[in-house]
Amino acid sequence: MNDFDFETRRARLEPLLESARSLADPASERGRLARERLAHSSGLSAQGVDFALQRCLEIAPDEREIAALIRSTPSAQVAHVLLSANVFVAAHRAIAIALAASAEVRVRASRREPEMAELLLAGAPGSFQLVTELSPHSGDRLWAYGSDDTMAEVAATLPAGVALHAHGSGFGVAVLDEVPPEAELGALLGRLAEDIALFDQRGCLSPRVLLVNAEPESAHTVVRELTAQLEKLEKLVPRGKLTAHESSEISQYRDTAHYIGELCEAGSGYVSFSARDGWLLPPTGRNIHVLTAPDAFTTLSRYRPLLTSCAFFGKPARRAELGRAIPGARVCQFGEMQRPPFDGPVDRREL
Amino acid sequence: MTRNARSDDLHRAVRRFAAGDRTHSFAALALEIAAFQREFSAGFARLCNSRKASLAQVEDIPGVPCDTFRLTRVAVHPESEDRLRFSTSGTTSGARGMHAMRVGETYQELSLSFGRAALLSSERAHHVVALAPLLDDPPTSSLGHMMALFMVDFEQQGAVSVRTPDRWLIDDRGVNLAGLERAAERATERGETLLVLATSFALVGLLDALEGRSLPLPAGAVVMQTGGYKGKTREIEPNVLRESIARSFQITEAQIVSEYGMTELTSQLYEATVPGSALERERRGAPGVYAEPPWLRVVPVDPTTLEPVPEGEVGIARIIDLGNVDSAVAIQTQDRVRRVPGGVTLLGRATGAPPRGCSLAIEEFLANEA
Repeated sequence: MNDFDFETRRARLEPLLESARSLADPASERGRLARERLAHSSGLSAQGVDFALQRCLEIAPDEREIAALIRSTPSAQVAHVLLSANVFVAAHRAIAIALAASAEVRVRASRREPEMAELLLAGAPGSFQLVTELSPHSGDRLWAYGSDDTMAEVAATLPAGVALHAHGSGFGVAVLDEVPPEAELGALLGRLAEDIALFDQRGCLSPRVLLVNAEPESAHTVVRELTAQLEKLEKLVPRGKLTAHESSEISQYRDTAHYIGELCEAGSGYVSFSARDGWLLPPTGRNIHVLTAPDAFTTLSRYRPLLTSCAFFGKPARRAELGRAIPGARVCQFGEMQRPPFDGPVDRREL
Repeated sequence: MTRNARSDDLHRAVRRFAAGDRTHSFAALALEIAAFQREFSAGFARLCNSRKASLAQVEDIPGVPCDTFRLTRVAVHPESEDRLRFSTSGTTSGARGMHAMRVGETYQELSLSFGRAALLSSERAHHVVALAPLLDDPPTSSLGHMMALFMVDFEQQGAVSVRTPDRWLIDDRGVNLAGLERAAERATERGETLLVLATSFALVGLLDALEGRSLPLPAGAVVMQTGGYKGKTREIEPNVLRESIARSFQITEAQIVSEYGMTELTSQLYEATVPGSALERERRGAPGVYAEPPWLRVVPVDPTTLEPVPEGEVGIARIIDLGNVDSAVAIQTQDRVRRVPGGVTLLGRATGAPPRGCSLAIEEFLANEA
């Protein structure tokens, strides 16, 4: 990619970034409208929408990150984007990647959450097209985001010669490789609580399991503190509406957690704990399972294909070791799971 | 009284109940078993406490979610006392689901009792084969173990060896069509009723192997099909599969009976459709209606509140199985069911769930483990 090509691509991103900036600003008319429309479509509480826009929408990405995004994105005749629901801010990054690939970008929003793409387009008119159906041709590229089932359907129906970048289902975990002193623990777990609460945990980066490398007694302290932090956050950012399916899953999760260990009410969600039993993957809706795991990295490597993100607290050398154990997952600090660098797709499992 | 003495008493009472003794009612036995499990299972005690379950009536007994078996041991007794251990689907993560039993006789008597009622259609001798892999030793599959019990009991030949390849007609090469043809010939020659026990995915494999040809079974033959597909093969709608199997075997659809069971249970449900069977004479069920044995009750419950739904409405199945004396007398499944005259209809797993976007569904997580 020569400098001219790079600058051309970089220029295509600017209107989109500007559009995102105005949406993030609660004082702007566009920001107010975004909050109103997204609260309706996302199922999040009004505070949840605001929290996500302020914390996760990439409005001032580092130029190095933008350069990495552009340089890692292959060019295309036409770039197509199939958006997912749940994490509405993801539309911004997905469209940015497509704009880095092509001057001609066609976006099909999720039927459940069509608002964010429309809002972005309204602030960057003409930068991409919103379509109701995608019809890519040979030589085009399609970036698709959603469940594995959706990815399989897309792959099966794609015409020959279309390059598919499929980003399917996944989940995040957190690893507390050492338990810090109590004075620091609250702040650390407060940041994890934010990772959990953002988007009511419906994103593929959202942590669902916390592995604690400690004796059960110490892990109990972690459970209590995380419960307190989630309760505290709930008061500021209440959980939104649950779907009937989520409510049903939570009922079963609650009973399972009681049977295998302990369950604490944490705001409108739960923190479950077991000292030695198998992985319980809680349903979305601000629920997390805490597990003591002396050998967390081996445990995690078993779930490698599903892991998109891992928050880590511990020694730097151990963090590097973790990165090697789960290549493809983004390893980050607590509180950074939902805002990875703007350097390409958040899901790096295909890389 | 010690734990095992109480357990033994309960096992005897359940077996007597299954044999027709109504000294104790279903409800009384279920509540007694639940109280026993609350006393000796810390996990069940926690579940009861969390639900404030008084265990005063059957509806109060909380169902232990099936997933629990994958995550922890669900048993009142220690591993050293296990007589049978049945595994749920295999896992790669070490989190292998297991149903441990301390008393094998109860499983045997309950399975055979209702199996005879549902599957045996005549006084003639039976010959039993399975479209399943050769049973391992000790058996880890509850289905395989049940099939072996049927082979021994239904044929009434005494202590026959059932671990022979001519009875287990799936091997590394797939369905053993020649073996099934030989079994059909033998039954015809000897005037026996042939009973073919099969999983749905094995029957699909059989259809694929036949490539449109037929493999006629002797008149009066019965095919028992059970289980789902678990991603092992292409799926076929149950009605279509039944039609196709009937056509290939040249038998009537009534001769194909579906069974519903799971590793987490001791007992099974059957369609009451096999002509001439005791269950058909007693209940005359329609295809798709699964009859419960008297010692098992399916309670459809609301998926969120887990409270029983009004009669006739769809809920997810809480199954109270008196046979589960030492594990969990009430199991909470995610299978949607509706009570109808004669039993329950199965409506599959919860559908209509909204697409999840990119967050991993619990089902996907479990599928990855399987």
